[in-house]
Amino acid sequence: MSRIETIISELSSISNNPRKAMEDYKKETGKGSVGVMPYYAPEEIIHAAGFLPVGIWGGQKSISKARAYLPPFACSIMQSVMEMQLEGVYDDLEAVLFPVPCDTLKCLSQKWKGTSPVIVFTHPQNRKLEAANKFLAEEYRLVREKLETILNVKITDEALNQSIETYNENRKVMREFTDLAANYPQIIDPKKRHAIIKARFFMEKSKHTAMVKELNSELKSLPVEAFTGKKVVLTGIMAEPNEVLDILKDNGFAVVADDLAQESRLFRNDVPSGTDPLYRLAKWWQEFDGCSLATDAKKSRGPMMMDMVKGSKADAVVVCMMKFCDPEEFDYPIYYRQFEEAGIKSLFIEIDLETTSFEQTKTRVQSFSEML
Amino acid sequence: MFTMGIDIGSSSSKVVILEDGANIIAGEVIQIGTGSSGPKRVLDEALSKAGLKLEDMAKIIATGYGRSSVEEAHKQISEISCQAKGVFFLVPSAKLIIDIGGQDVKAIRLDSKGGVKQFFMNDKCAAGTGRFLDVMSRVLEVNLDDMAEYDARATEPATVSSTCTVFAESEVISQLSNGVAKENIIAGVHQSVASKACGLAYRCGVEEDIVMCGGVAKDLGVVRAISKELKKPVIVAPNPQITAALGAAIFAFEEVRGANK
Repeated sequence: MSRIETIISELSSISNNPRKAMEDYKKETGKGSVGVMPYYAPEEIIHAAGFLPVGIWGGQKSISKARAYLPPFACSIMQSVMEMQLEGVYDDLEAVLFPVPCDTLKCLSQKWKGTSPVIVFTHPQNRKLEAANKFLAEEYRLVREKLETILNVKITDEALNQSIETYNENRKVMREFTDLAANYPQIIDPKKRHAIIKARFFMEKSKHTAMVKELNSELKSLPVEAFTGKKVVLTGIMAEPNEVLDILKDNGFAVVADDLAQESRLFRNDVPSGTDPLYRLAKWWQEFDGCSLATDAKKSRGPMMMDMVKGSKADAVVVCMMKFCDPEEFDYPIYYRQFEEAGIKSLFIEIDLETTSFEQTKTRVQSFSEML
Repeated sequence: MFTMGIDIGSSSSKVVILEDGANIIAGEVIQIGTGSSGPKRVLDEALSKAGLKLEDMAKIIATGYGRSSVEEAHKQISEISCQAKGVFFLVPSAKLIIDIGGQDVKAIRLDSKGGVKQFFMNDKCAAGTGRFLDVMSRVLEVNLDDMAEYDARATEPATVSSTCTVFAESEVISQLSNGVAKENIIAGVHQSVASKACGLAYRCGVEEDIVMCGGVAKDLGVVRAISKELKKPVIVAPNPQITAALGAAIFAFEEVRGANK
């Protein structure tokens, strides 16, 4: 097995088995894990406490118990998170950090059924005002205080600034990886690309950075081969389950860039420089754009994606629409019209973690491939 | 040269045998789809009608929901591409196709050469599909083939507001028990189907000529309701259930011809 294959296999294994990653971390450091709900929580605060931040993104499973607590039109991430809460899956977490940038999260945060303490905080939506930074920095101060109490550790500004640098380094390496992956679709297929990115939710970030850095270096040493398939940019919340990515691969598609909340949206911007770490983290939210969950009066998501298509020489955009995600559904008609005007082809597929039948997705993807 | 297109849908199986990419020698439909005896039976029927054997086919292309399970096929092409190909062959002025089958609804926009420019399919559930009409026909005790006639006699179409087929069924039952005429309920059912399909058509961009195909296109009540909603005439493709199979047979012909050039 080549070094590239080994690294991909290790990262895929971590991405597929977060529980083992948590156990390994505990064995290694004696410290536990803190769950991080979507979207855009300041993981750095958990990292600075020496605990492992673990992303909570639900999973592919059938829903039954959660139906008692959620309407059927709640998105499938939250349906599966609720189902797993009720099964006690998250009870080993020391705490759960819970941002609430959409209505479903806001409501779910008030009915957590697991035993771990939940720390809820709010992202301001009137984001471009200086007051928003102050408000969010204060929210983060409260998050830090609560974490200190629950975890029984002191989280210093110095440690937090250091963690921000660790995360920024990871963001930089991830941006380099996604650029490189676009040149090597024969090696980094859609599923592997996703696994490499997803592993960052379950690893101490500097370790993830080191592995991806090595992967990047190995990739760079290889010649770039011509790709005969089609290149696409993915947009949406997430592109799961893996069957969706396999369908893309089977139909000759390579993912050359993404605008997914679970992937590049998390690392396309660094946390800005400064001295007050909480203010720096707050400022990241102000500078962040192009996401349906962050109010953007200028609706820059469409133009941002069009730049992404141009920059990555993509043939089209695949819209991975999370079923019943209101914010994403509201954004869609706006950027779809912009794509049409710019002559950018796009495919709409529906993402549902509960699904086990992918015939409609296969038809859509195959048709799109034939259309291009 | 003979080519064959096989379209295995969720609720029907269709085969077209084409001679020299132009003449339809056989176009058969059996009203049961993938996973049933339908695919084998329709294949046998089409060959028998044409007086041909499977070996006489220069190429066979499968399409539809069950396309990957057709062992006789040399290749699979999606039903969206095949519908576009088949409809454009029959109606070269087509710009927008509305295809309503057993479990999905598609709006397909064509470019001037008949290529697929954009398409949308129903998402979230099977509301507004052929299955919805099947359920309503059973509750109303009216054959699917007779629903258009009932619709034409409607004086005041009822409202069928539920998206969910099961809830819509309850809604219809309650209207029946309240004495609403079947004619008016059926017109309401057709409007409900039309509103779902037109939602996709609006997303796609409505441009004439608009052509309907798929099994539901045989129900002229739905066609009228769609035309009314879009405020534009709607052409029903000739033999609308076999258009995707026809498209597959044309693709097969073009591939053989391309390979022989």
